[in-house]
Amino acid sequence: MVKAERKPVQEIFDAINGYGKVLNVGCGGCVSVCLVGGQKEVNALNAELKVHLEKAGIRKRIDGYTVERQCNESFLKELDSKAPEYDCLVSMACGAGVQHMAQRFSKIPVHPVVNTVSIGIDKDLGMYEERCRACGHCVLGYTGGICPVTRCAKGLFNGPCGGTNGDNCEISNEIPCAWLDIYKRLKNQDRLGDILKVRPHMEWQNQSPRTIIQEPYERRYLA
Amino acid sequence: MFRKKNTAGVNSDEIRAILDEKKAKMKLSLKACAHCSLCAESCFLFMGHNKDPKYMPSYKFLNSVGVLYKKKGNVDKQDLGEMRDLVWERCVLCTRCYCPIGIDIPDMLALARRICRSQGVYPQYDRE
Repeated sequence: MVKAERKPVQEIFDAINGYGKVLNVGCGGCVSVCLVGGQKEVNALNAELKVHLEKAGIRKRIDGYTVERQCNESFLKELDSKAPEYDCLVSMACGAGVQHMAQRFSKIPVHPVVNTVSIGIDKDLGMYEERCRACGHCVLGYTGGICPVTRCAKGLFNGPCGGTNGDNCEISNEIPCAWLDIYKRLKNQDRLGDILKVRPHMEWQNQSPRTIIQEPYERRYLA
Repeated sequence: MFRKKNTAGVNSDEIRAILDEKKAKMKLSLKACAHCSLCAESCFLFMGHNKDPKYMPSYKFLNSVGVLYKKKGNVDKQDLGEMRDLVWERCVLCTRCYCPIGIDIPDMLALARRICRSQGVYPQYDRE
């Protein structure tokens, strides 16, 4: 799932500073599961902001509301009657949710209060590890299930580079070399031949907005 | 079995106000459900739980919004807690459930979630 982390409270405070009535909108999807933008976090942030405002002697109305998913129109429309009451909306959803909300309520300024970090796995409670950058060019089948785009500092498809530092990456002794791990995994599976197959260069499809239509639905949208 | 309700911490007026917003749609949906069970197989959770009837979209809809409507919002925290398990644990709101009559089941389950949220009842992912 998408993983995010909250922005520093001062940055949020600065963003909402010029507005009188602020609605903090949480999302019940991924950000709720990674404990950064669900209903509980909306309440916690609002309480924190209110203390901050009180200390600064500023009067402002800050309310909270959580929709099931900000990236889905049928859930976001729940805010249609509520949002226009406010001077500013802040979103605790991922970047997709923020943009969706900003598009739907285009007359109201929308500020993100979390930084969307990655697509990752749950290591432990409140601890997540990046595993995918949604590059749109998945080669995991050839790399033993280890992503060279996410794990290799250079994002090499046909690695390793010449800069390995023992078993680690040249940029840090604490980062294991992704391609060494790929080599070990493939060797373990007796598939070292895969490492010799030259993969075409990365198309960097994630550098421009993408819309996907799943094949069974093509007739529905492309006819 | 009869259980005495403890409505402390529950704002029934607020629940009723939310129910009223979608009263017409909710009433029609509850009336229209023919218990045909055709929605069941479109739910991957139903299929993935050995076709347990408690995962049927219609079951989830009738036992959440249906109960709230029938009781006119007069529910207690225990009722809402049970509803929370139903509408969050047994549904991910993938919106793929199919009703041949056209009942918008995800919208109804989202309504049940909204009511639970309004009373401070929602999943605590760091505790569960």
